[in-house]
Amino acid sequence: MRHPTDGVLRRLLDEPAGVAEADRRHVADCAHCLAALAATREDAALVGAALSAEAEVDVPAAWARLSTAAHASAGPVRTPSPARSARRGRIGELVRRPAVAALAFGVVLAGAGTAAATDWLQIFRTEEVAAVGLRSADLVALPDLEAYGDVVMTGDDGLRPVPDAATAAAESGLDVPAVDALPSGITGEPEYQVGGEVTATFTFDADRAAQAAAEAGDTLPPPPPGLDGASVRLVAGPGVAQVWQSGSGAPGLIVGRAVAPTAFSSGVPFETVRDYLLSLPGLPEDVAAQLRTFTADGSTLPLPVPSDFVTTSTEDVDGEPATVLATRDRVFAAVVWVQDGEVTVVAGALDTGEVLEVARGLR
Amino acid sequence: MDLVRHPLPGPAVPAFAVALPAGVVTRIGGRDGVPVPDVPARGALRTDLDVVFRREYQRVVAVAARVLGSRDQAEDVAQEVFLAFNRSSVPAAEAGGWLSVAAAHTALNLIRSGRRRASNEETAATAVPLAEPDVAEVVVTLEERSRVRAALARLPHKQAVALVLRHSGLSYAEVAAALDLSPGSVGTTVRRAESALRKELTRHASSH
Repeated sequence: MRHPTDGVLRRLLDEPAGVAEADRRHVADCAHCLAALAATREDAALVGAALSAEAEVDVPAAWARLSTAAHASAGPVRTPSPARSARRGRIGELVRRPAVAALAFGVVLAGAGTAAATDWLQIFRTEEVAAVGLRSADLVALPDLEAYGDVVMTGDDGLRPVPDAATAAAESGLDVPAVDALPSGITGEPEYQVGGEVTATFTFDADRAAQAAAEAGDTLPPPPPGLDGASVRLVAGPGVAQVWQSGSGAPGLIVGRAVAPTAFSSGVPFETVRDYLLSLPGLPEDVAAQLRTFTADGSTLPLPVPSDFVTTSTEDVDGEPATVLATRDRVFAAVVWVQDGEVTVVAGALDTGEVLEVARGLR
Repeated sequence: MDLVRHPLPGPAVPAFAVALPAGVVTRIGGRDGVPVPDVPARGALRTDLDVVFRREYQRVVAVAARVLGSRDQAEDVAQEVFLAFNRSSVPAAEAGGWLSVAAAHTALNLIRSGRRRASNEETAATAVPLAEPDVAEVVVTLEERSRVRAALARLPHKQAVALVLRHSGLSYAEVAAALDLSPGSVGTTVRRAESALRKELTRHASSH
């Protein structure tokens, strides 16, 4: 009989019952196998010792920490109506996030004058992005856009996988950026995903806003005339993403491109809307001031980031100013820039140098 | 047992989900089109989280500590993994295996990224109680620990995960299910990993 494999010998140490009776009998009578088994046992013991670590924990303290983190990361519990839930998907959820609501406010607050009363008038087109730092606590504390009116999402069907770059290009109408050289540790083929155009329309409701403020113990500033019932619309996409998975299930590398957001209004003076929305309870004054500055030129898309987790800086990608984001633990980094009305992002479990290298090498 | 198909988002992913423009945000929370039903509402905790946490926390920290050599870091990983579990629909009966696998993956990714904060090794030194806080001994311990981590990081991912899970007490059947291996090949995978690690350790020891 041939000798059992190394794997069988290894299992014999841990789970002898899992090893076939014939193999066990062979090993017991075979000097060669017994010697190999001894070496296997030695290696297992050595490695076991090397991997040992003290792990005494305070479970109640850890539970308290987890409970706090779970609540803080998830935000306040709300129970949206079924009708609203049904029409809201992944991107809708994202757009409704308070910070992104601030973003949506921001983009409509450009210096356009009074829009035509009946037509949707474009008042903003993204030409560059700039980060707005908000503490996580501020992000959580910010008012939910739905507290102040109706949010209707259309085209929010999320991203869907497609088989290859050619299909992604055909379905999105975008040039799919090709990565020149993958960073170290990223291998294999990406999954291609495409998403259609997404529209978010927000219609201000003064009664609901007052009620929400009262429930939160705040007083709503009196809405200016004409604001009640006025709508603003944010349009973005279509978009395409290439995702390389890492072993943990988190994306190792994402390269995404989308038609950059534009904003429209149904007929309200934008400075009035801007100043009112930026004065709502919950938005820190310094952030509001920053948003007012950004929107003055009508082309800068504010990118809300949790400043206690993320650092930001500015770099150059192919002659365009690019916003570089990195988590403070340096596990994730991203770079975002806009060129010819398209926003491109490179992100992943990489450092800033690596995402910039990928960004600058896109073809 | 389908341990690895459930998504395991990292800590920074939610932050970027907020930060990325709407049109290019991917479905970070789901892979392979696998839906994640019955997850708790925002801000809510799974009703079984408390029980699972008290039952499994110690073991999950131990898995991560084997990889990281630092209890503090291991607790960070464990917190991250339990948050992911809270967002998942993994049945409580499968939680033990799922959490261990998630902890091993997450911790290995941390050391493989090679971007841990410079202070981590110092943290490891203070986190592990030493009988005698002798300076030479601390240096040796740190050196050994960092050598083990470096060797682990160089192993093929599957080998490293199998090794850590096996030394954390998971059965061959559980390791096999987690890594999509046949139970018969778990022994081979673990043996290869141990052999490679022993070579790294003894090679270095003999050069001193």
